Amino acid sequence: MKLFNKNVIYTFAILLITILPLTGCWDNKDINHRLLPVVLGVSKIENEYEVIINLPVSNAGKIESRIVSFKDKTIAKAIDTISRNLESRVDLLHVKLIIIERGAAEDGVKDIIGGFMRSREVSPKALVAISDEDINVLFSKLKDTIGLVGSTTVDFFEKNAGWDPDIALTRVWEVYRGIHSYTYDVAIPLIRSGDEFPMEQIGSAIVKNGKMVDQISPDETLLYNIFKGESSSGEIEVMEKATVRIVNNSIHHKGSFHNNQPFLKSKIKLKVVILETRGEPSLNEIKKELNQALSERFNIMILKTKENKADIFGIGQFFRRELTRKELKNWRTKYYTNLKMDIQFNVDIQNQGYLITS
Amino acid sequence: MVRSLHVVILYLLTHLGLIFFMFPSNIIASTQQGHWLPILIGIFVHVLFLHIYMKGLNYFPGENLISIFSGIGKGAVILLLVPVLLYFFIITLITVRAYSEIITLVFLSFTPLWAVTLLLLIVSTYVAKNGMETVLRTGLMLAIIFLPLFLFVFILSFQNVDWRYFNPVTPDLNFLTSRSYYESFFVFSGGFLFLGFVQPYFSYERKYIIFSALLLIPFFIFSVYIPILTLGQATASVTFLPFVVIADSINVSWLMFDRVTLFFLLSLISFMILYISLVMCKTILIINRYVPSIKPVHLLYILSSLLFFLCFLIPDWKDVEKLFWWNTLLRFYVFIAVPLSIYFWGVRKRKGKHETI
Repeated sequence: MKLFNKNVIYTFAILLITILPLTGCWDNKDINHRLLPVVLGVSKIENEYEVIINLPVSNAGKIESRIVSFKDKTIAKAIDTISRNLESRVDLLHVKLIIIERGAAEDGVKDIIGGFMRSREVSPKALVAISDEDINVLFSKLKDTIGLVGSTTVDFFEKNAGWDPDIALTRVWEVYRGIHSYTYDVAIPLIRSGDEFPMEQIGSAIVKNGKMVDQISPDETLLYNIFKGESSSGEIEVMEKATVRIVNNSIHHKGSFHNNQPFLKSKIKLKVVILETRGEPSLNEIKKELNQALSERFNIMILKTKENKADIFGIGQFFRRELTRKELKNWRTKYYTNLKMDIQFNVDIQNQGYLITS
Repeated sequence: MVRSLHVVILYLLTHLGLIFFMFPSNIIASTQQGHWLPILIGIFVHVLFLHIYMKGLNYFPGENLISIFSGIGKGAVILLLVPVLLYFFIITLITVRAYSEIITLVFLSFTPLWAVTLLLLIVSTYVAKNGMETVLRTGLMLAIIFLPLFLFVFILSFQNVDWRYFNPVTPDLNFLTSRSYYESFFVFSGGFLFLGFVQPYFSYERKYIIFSALLLIPFFIFSVYIPILTLGQATASVTFLPFVVIADSINVSWLMFDRVTLFFLLSLISFMILYISLVMCKTILIINRYVPSIKPVHLLYILSSLLFFLCFLIPDWKDVEKLFWWNTLLRFYVFIAVPLSIYFWGVRKRKGKHETI
């Protein structure tokens, strides 16, 4: 075979030419002309959205942290204006955490989250949190304490970093599902800046159909996570007589219908390790106390969600077999409020440390 | 040359490329619950006609569709081969246009459409230029490079599945009246006609093709069910490319890449390039038979530049859908008439032989 016949040369030339469009040179923006915020804050002031981001800006060789915000009719427009007024383009490709101000969340996040889902620029797996205070205050305090509201802030929620089992982990696509789904609502972590700590978890917001209706405490959020089957190992439970650490948890649900009333039986198995005791409680007493404390807390929380008609546990999922699609549509209003629950905690004390408790 | 592996791989890749984009949203739009029934009906029809088609082709060893039809007579050419040609042309146009739109939608949002279209066309023209054999060999290469990546993301996409969304499981028959259900048949009818064109170059054993059709069943089912099991019917039905949304929400902390969607999409796009070049190749084969005066390579250049310009006559997605719908009738005609007629003529031919003996 001749290596350099005409055809080979032509084809080779054509293939080389295709490299040209591949570079995307007509609108290429180099990485040093792009700003990639990791945390995005959104608040709503009288029909206008305020977008706030913290950006690293290099100034005379030093990198400074600058907070920029802009108010406009839509989020996209606000970001575009920020982009216009900065020397680089703002890209939302790396946004990992979206903090929404409480007021906006109570108004409903349907449009905000819908926008993020539509544009695809923000990944649907970005986390969502709700700020209990003015978003500007939160950002400036965070900037003061940790320098840059960026990946460190996200680490509070990362499972391989600062996440704890009493923090609800909710992603954009889950919030979006909650807006449309018949049987799923979500709990979104509620945060505020603290005096000693950069960020405090004060519980979770119950978000029903994209609207924040109530909130639960961190302790209740732990149960929420246990109920969802999320691992709660490492979490510490304090009671009157003892303090224990949960090392393992598993859950089993069974849903059934009795006279048109949904009935859910849940068995939760907890394995705990005793850390501290007060006085001389027996193992049985500790088990009993833990069992009681958790069931009580759980029942109070269920009542709260029932009042709000917000099924954050996704309990409706267990009755999908029994109900038709039409009935499922009314799950929250008609059936969930009627729900009867029997929750049993099965506590195993795995070990007692170096000391023996009888 | 018996090369079942190449044919099987080409069959698998082209179908995988077709399945994961519009098919899930079409099926999700066609019915509210029990999506398994419409999918299984589609698969059944697909395997049935695939079987008939291959059985028919079996009566004509070493011949391809073109020589069979022209052997039958002028009527067969006009009634069958001309619609097939038209069908091939329209699906190439739709595929190029739709997939370049999907590419710009998902990851090249700032790149002009013409650049994406051009790249898609240049690569597939180049593959098609070297003929059917090259297409088959390229398939093997793409499978080695991209199939593992694709399978990796496919398995990962089970991450957020909530199996209880499978209920309510009882299907209703509304999908039979739904337009999007009939549109969804492009995955069942789009890919298998090529089996009638590989004959002189490659031959294959029928059982392997049927076996690989069965291998595709989980992909047909889960391409629809993963979005439903993750988001629920109510949410999945408002997404445009449900599976891409799911791939986007995969969270893998140990992977150094943030978004696995890119790997998934690029693998599938490479399969689609293969598909486009395959259909182009078939189109050229047909035209060349009746217009032998023009060199096939020149025909190919004319065809791809024509496609490139026609792509600009389709300004938005609504028009793509309209074209898609118009093509559905033609698709069903080709899908049903070609296998049946091949089978029919095959049986007749054999009978004729017996009589002369």
